[in-house]
This record gives sequence, structure tokens and C-alpha cells, in this order.
Amino acid sequence: MSMFRAKRLDLGCFVNVKVIRDHTKRKVFAEHEPERQALRYIIRNLSLPARTRAQAQLQLAQMHCYTRPTQIRNRCIEGGKGRGVLRDFKMTRYNFRMNALAGSIPGVKKAAW
Amino acid sequence: MPVPRARLLDLMRVQCRIFNSTFNPEGLRLGNKILRQRLKGPALASYYPRKMGTIQDLQRVYTDELDIFDEEEEDRFEKIKILKARGKGAPKKKRTAEESKKFKGKKK
Repeated sequence: MSMFRAKRLDLGCFVNVKVIRDHTKRKVFAEHEPERQALRYIIRNLSLPARTRAQAQLQLAQMHCYTRPTQIRNRCIEGGKGRGVLRDFKMTRYNFRMNALAGSIPGVKKAAW
Repeated sequence: MPVPRARLLDLMRVQCRIFNSTFNPEGLRLGNKILRQRLKGPALASYYPRKMGTIQDLQRVYTDELDIFDEEEEDRFEKIKILKARGKGAPKKKRTAEESKKFKGKKK
């Protein structure tokens, strides 16, 4: 959402609207994580009164969807794609192959035996 | 020889004090596992590489001391100049409503 978006673009990788959106979600989640964890603690704590826990449940459910960790998806830093992204290299399989064959990823070598 | 429960509980209490965990012999659900979790926000937020210093930033900082040449920007200007010379450049920005309405409507 536009209210969360940074006023100045602070990304140094491939940029498209999906990457910007995902980046924004990550920052918003990091900002609201303590609050979410506190609410989750209240919900899970059975020694607290049921009313408090129900209120915490409602409050957690009413938080903005950008504060949820499930909204975050790893995207390719070379092409912004959302599928087939290798977690270790933050790249899609094709971009990984191209970079690996070009020798720009340290320690990666094509296997041959 | 069975160990009495009270003695085991004492041991557990001492254990909890030493390792800084919650003493909960009845196994009640106190939600402490949430508090034990580490925050993963900073790790998630640093996924994409951030923007490093650009040539424009350098130019802004060293306006008078250094003469920095931004090759890409110069290339862009040159391209625009060539296009303009051929009469293929972008049209001038319309500033007022009348100006923008001038060529609107059906072609005659």
C-alpha cells in the first residue's frame, strides 16, 4: 500500500512494482513484529482471562495485511520473478545458471565427472 | 530406588533459574514459546540489496571540487539531441488546460 512505501527508492537490485511491494511488506513486517508477537503471546497464554485473549485475537486479525509474514515472498534480485527462486542465491534458476556459467558467483562450478 | 517428586521439582526449579527458563511443572500453556522465538524481521527486511552511492550522489556532494562525468546521462542527452534534430523528439509538456485541449477531438 502506498502509505507504507518509501518516499525514495532504496533498492539496488532489479526493480519492478512487485519487488517494491515485497520490499515494502518486509519493512512493514519488521516494524510491527514485536507488536504481533506480543498479541500472539496473549492469545496463547491460557492463564489470562478469556476476554483479554479474545480482544487480542481481534486486534491481531485487524492488523494490516502488510504486517503479516505470510505476505512476504522471496523474489529474484536479477529479474524480479517469484517462482523458481533459489534461496541461497536469491535468484531464479535461469539467472543462477547464467551467472554461474559466467563465473560471477563465487564457489559455484559446473559439475562434471 | 524411586526419587520423591518434591526433590525432582526442586531440581527443576534450580535448573530453570540457572538456564533462565520459566518454571512450569504443571505444563500449563503460558505462551512462553512465543517469547522464546527470535525476531526475524531484520533478517527478512535485508533480503534485497540496498542502493549504494550513485554518480548523482557524488555529483551532489562534490559540486565544485570535482568534475564528475556521468557517462550514461550524457549518452541519454546526446540521444535526445539527435532525436530532436530529426524532429522525432517527445512533444513539449502542456502547461495549461487550453493548450492540451487544442488538438483533442475527432480528426477532420
